[in-house]
Amino acid sequence: MGERFGQRLGVVALHVVVISGALLTVAPIAFMIYSSFKTTAEIFTLPPWLPPAEWSFKNYEELLTKWPFPYWYINSLIYAGVVTVFVLFFCSLAGFAFAKYHFRAKNVLFIILIGSTMIPFQLILIPLFVLMSRIDWVNHPASMIVPWMAPAFGIFLMRQYIQAVPTELMESARIDGASEFRIYAQVIVPLVRPGLTTLAILTFLGSWNSFIWPLMVLRGNRVITLPVGIATMRSQATASQIPYGEMMAAATMVSVPVILLFLMLQRYFISGLTIGAVKG
Amino acid sequence: MVQAALTRGREARAGGDFQQHKLAPYAFISPFYVLFAFFFLAPSLIALVLSMFRWDGINDPRFVLARNYGRLLSDKVFAQAATNTAIYAIASLLIVLPLALVLAVLLNAKSLRFSNVWRAMYFTPVVTSTVAISLVFQILYSRDTGLLNAPLIYLGLEPIYWLGDRSWVKVAIIILIIWRSTGLLTIYFLAGLQSIPEELYEAASIDGASMLQKFFRITVPMLRPIILFVSIIVLLSSIQIFDEIQILTNGSGGPANSSMSVVHYLYERGYTRLRLGFASAVGTVLFATVFILSLLQLQWYGVFRKED
Repeated sequence: MGERFGQRLGVVALHVVVISGALLTVAPIAFMIYSSFKTTAEIFTLPPWLPPAEWSFKNYEELLTKWPFPYWYINSLIYAGVVTVFVLFFCSLAGFAFAKYHFRAKNVLFIILIGSTMIPFQLILIPLFVLMSRIDWVNHPASMIVPWMAPAFGIFLMRQYIQAVPTELMESARIDGASEFRIYAQVIVPLVRPGLTTLAILTFLGSWNSFIWPLMVLRGNRVITLPVGIATMRSQATASQIPYGEMMAAATMVSVPVILLFLMLQRYFISGLTIGAVKG
Repeated sequence: MVQAALTRGREARAGGDFQQHKLAPYAFISPFYVLFAFFFLAPSLIALVLSMFRWDGINDPRFVLARNYGRLLSDKVFAQAATNTAIYAIASLLIVLPLALVLAVLLNAKSLRFSNVWRAMYFTPVVTSTVAISLVFQILYSRDTGLLNAPLIYLGLEPIYWLGDRSWVKVAIIILIIWRSTGLLTIYFLAGLQSIPEELYEAASIDGASMLQKFFRITVPMLRPIILFVSIIVLLSSIQIFDEIQILTNGSGGPANSSMSVVHYLYERGYTRLRLGFASAVGTVLFATVFILSLLQLQWYGVFRKED
């Protein structure tokens, strides 16, 4: 009897701990969304759960009238979208080659590939920036796209997925006279849609949330991305008049859509993150 | 049967097809290697060369051999940035990692109801823009009206100057790191937990093992490879920390460089002050550090083992 009670208590405690932690985790996001409907003065009024004097979309309207916010949004969408398309193509092609072909120097090439995933790009930040300015790509969309079109991580990920496709399917397509590229396009690609979805989400999010690189290579109010734009709202304001209300609206606009996307595609997202961890 | 068909297929194919089969994989992998050579390898080499020059990007570069490295190693601000970065890394290892491990075990408990809902809530920070959330924390950290100081203010105590105090600013950044990365590590640990056979726990239960005993005697030892993998991920991502500090401190890494990270230092010297040669030396030193950590990680991946 006592043991059962103890077990029950344990289950209750488990729920209390897990749920309070979960609420604590989403609290800053809730605060952000809630604040986006308040004036800056109200945001800094304690306690934070006090509702605004008047619910309004004024902060959101200001984003459209006072700031080039639509440009930032569209830029971010275009950069992330175009990068994602190229990444899907190049990474699945290379992943296919590493998964299904035997060729000379394959092992060495693969080690180079894996090795490059381990080096954070921040380390070549300055020389890469120097290179960009030499080839006149500073403030050019190409700088946001071309260097990032074939990440090694994505190739590794696609290789894992493509390895699971039965090789017999390829062989029979080959007997039917299909070219190697056709085998890729018509046999492999349709069978690894989950892998492609996973890679698409990770790539899109990575580009969408990236900060230091666009901060360096993009200038001018109409070419910068959302995160850089939001940071600009902060840095361009005078200390006493930081538009926190508008910034919270912008922060909501940059994060809530991807959170929703994540909630819908959670399964793919998580499998992409863990594919290397569970066993590389 | 299949084998016979394959042989026939191979025989049927003309020599040209065979060539295609041999060349195709090289064509398929070439985009990566071209981009890699141009945007990664070349800049790395440029960095090595530049690190021996003094250059502002405008005037002619001046050869200074190892003087940049000498300056770097004797620079107090760099020492500060390296120390800060180490503090962030150690805090992540000692706080975030155990927290994520325990959280994963809790989220994996069979008696937990609506587990998917709680998981989703814990994972949201992983996809949230760092810039956006750092701005939110900047408000929460505000001295006189911030939520984090609210209890102190309510009790009539002296509020903490989170972003204006040399020590507290590091705590503020660590709290943000905890918020941002616990969910990510939990995802890894949850994946690892799936690989532990249920029978181990059942056998332990029969032997009368307590929850804690099961955690330390089964879960932790069985997760050792994942724990190692995650700690290397934590170290590598700590070395890269920039966004949070840039936003929370309005780009200053302050007060008085007390929150500055190595990447922030690199950015500030190289990009803001255009000391390109010097910043390249910083990058090279970082590169060496990361390279060693990476070798450890590769070892874990088993890349050096012969493929079967």
